[in-house]
Amino acid sequence: MALVEIRELTKQFRKGDEVITPLQGVDLEIERGDFVSLMGASGSGKSTLLNAIAGIDRPTSGEIHVNGVEITKLSRGQLADWRAANIGYIFQMHNLIPVLTAYENIELPLLLLPMSAAERHKRVEIALDAVTLRDRANHYPRQLSGGQEQRVGIARAIVANPTIIVGDEPTGDLDAVTTEQILDLVQRLNSELGMTLLIVTHDPRVAALAQRQLRLEQGKLIEKGREVAVVGVDIRERSA
Amino acid sequence: MFKFAPYVLKGLWRHRSRTILTVSGSAVALFVFCFVGAVQRGLARLSEDQQALRTLIVFQENRFCPASSKLPEDYVRTVEKVPGVKDVVPIKVFTNNCRASLDVIVFHGMPPAKLRSSRELTLLSGGWGDFDSRSDAAIVGQAVANRRRLKVGERFTIGEVTVSVVGIFRSSVTAEDNYIYTHLDFLQRARGKSSVGTVTQLEVHLNEGADPDRLAADIDGQFRSGPVATSTRSKGVFQRDTLSDLAELIGFAHWLGYACVGLVLALVATTTVMAVQDRIKEHAVLQTLGLRPGRIFRLVLAESVLQSVAGGLLGIGAGLAMLSWGGFAVGAEGVTIAFKPSMDLALSGAVVSVVVGILAGIAPGWQAARTEIVLALRQA
Repeated sequence: MALVEIRELTKQFRKGDEVITPLQGVDLEIERGDFVSLMGASGSGKSTLLNAIAGIDRPTSGEIHVNGVEITKLSRGQLADWRAANIGYIFQMHNLIPVLTAYENIELPLLLLPMSAAERHKRVEIALDAVTLRDRANHYPRQLSGGQEQRVGIARAIVANPTIIVGDEPTGDLDAVTTEQILDLVQRLNSELGMTLLIVTHDPRVAALAQRQLRLEQGKLIEKGREVAVVGVDIRERSA
Repeated sequence: MFKFAPYVLKGLWRHRSRTILTVSGSAVALFVFCFVGAVQRGLARLSEDQQALRTLIVFQENRFCPASSKLPEDYVRTVEKVPGVKDVVPIKVFTNNCRASLDVIVFHGMPPAKLRSSRELTLLSGGWGDFDSRSDAAIVGQAVANRRRLKVGERFTIGEVTVSVVGIFRSSVTAEDNYIYTHLDFLQRARGKSSVGTVTQLEVHLNEGADPDRLAADIDGQFRSGPVATSTRSKGVFQRDTLSDLAELIGFAHWLGYACVGLVLALVATTTVMAVQDRIKEHAVLQTLGLRPGRIFRLVLAESVLQSVAGGLLGIGAGLAMLSWGGFAVGAEGVTIAFKPSMDLALSGAVVSVVVGILAGIAPGWQAARTEIVLALRQA
């Protein structure tokens, strides 16, 4: 069984008089250790798909199984617990908690897991080493550069050793040099640590690093030029 | 929950101007709440004290101010013979101000032996020997002594009465800490020749089982056809009647206490709502990391309660300290209401702070907990 299995996933939402259907009947499988990139035009539904897999958005219909758990059936509270244990989320805008130091930001996800203070400390130190920011541990986000903030964000995403790491445009807010550093780091998470990654991006350089490159295009989910699923023939249909 | 204490505390510290203003507002409101509570409890002590219900005050009929009540001193002998009466204490009262005042000075002239038998006074300084041996001696309640900075060995004059302070006392009855006790005959002479042989009131102590209402009627019946008719009431009723105008004001003031509670509620709720609206995205990030909505709710509630309780404790502390050191009292017609700090008052203030903090945090906490993660994350 694949690590992530998506069956007939549909997402609709209403915007004024319009019913928007960014995802319709999507099927997708991601294996453990995969590095998957997902590209597509703005509004194509790639972030919606990512958020559904991350358990922060609920699909209108369909099933999402992650590591054997059907997450669409979980309650809001259960879903939060599930995210704490299974998802590492890398945001485009870093989204660090401004009142907490880099160390405390990285430690946050561990506070939700049954773990001793010593174990938490050990894991945060390892994560800080992984992103080479040990000397910035006690700095607040406002004292860090954009690239350093994103590295803290990545450390926060990996510290709990999640089942899957998802990234929504993780380099979208960074300059070219910093983007290279972050891409190198992301690639090492997959190649050296064997982490499963799903990255939404506009940047072909980021997509090129992935083993599997998916594209949401004109309503179709295409993998390396091959159509793998129908995503929704009518992206926007006017409600009756 | 305590794992997230640094997040809550640092969040409050980050917006310290807002936090300090909220805590200050809460402190001022609880300070006033304590003061109003102290006044109300002082009034309640006067009228509900068991001793006050078992003691009668005989006053001249249709007189209100102590200066206008003049009972013949030999009424004592008549009252002592009424069945059910245990003891009668003649008291001459002199006050510097018959109207309501925050600095009323009240002299009670009593026979020294009766003073010691009828009052539970503890001398904090000075001695009873000096009081017995000097005709102009006065022992001063600690509240008056603090307020007027009086010490043993000093002489002071109020109106036409000049006394020597030979002792400072603390009474088991808080209101009496605002009295000055002198010899009866001294105060009679000090008030002029016409006052010799007269007293302002008789304090009648009853035997166990005696009916206060029946005895009051019996006493008034004895003097109905005498040279001076009397009006006899229990001490509690007498004090309540004497302070009726003030009591109305004090009764009205309890609304001020409620207003303070409302003020804290509005203030803390406004601050917490602002804090939540500032951090909609932050709460969405926390939920993405795996915090349950219930935990987000509790974090917001903790912020709200912390601010309310911090302000409350400051206000209660300042209020109790001022009540303790200030020796405040309000009096009228020779009866005083003491504003006294108490553990009961502190506890009720603390409970109010906690409850207000919880109430103020519910709506913003609910708002934070119900944040739609994806929508909130899209915010700039």
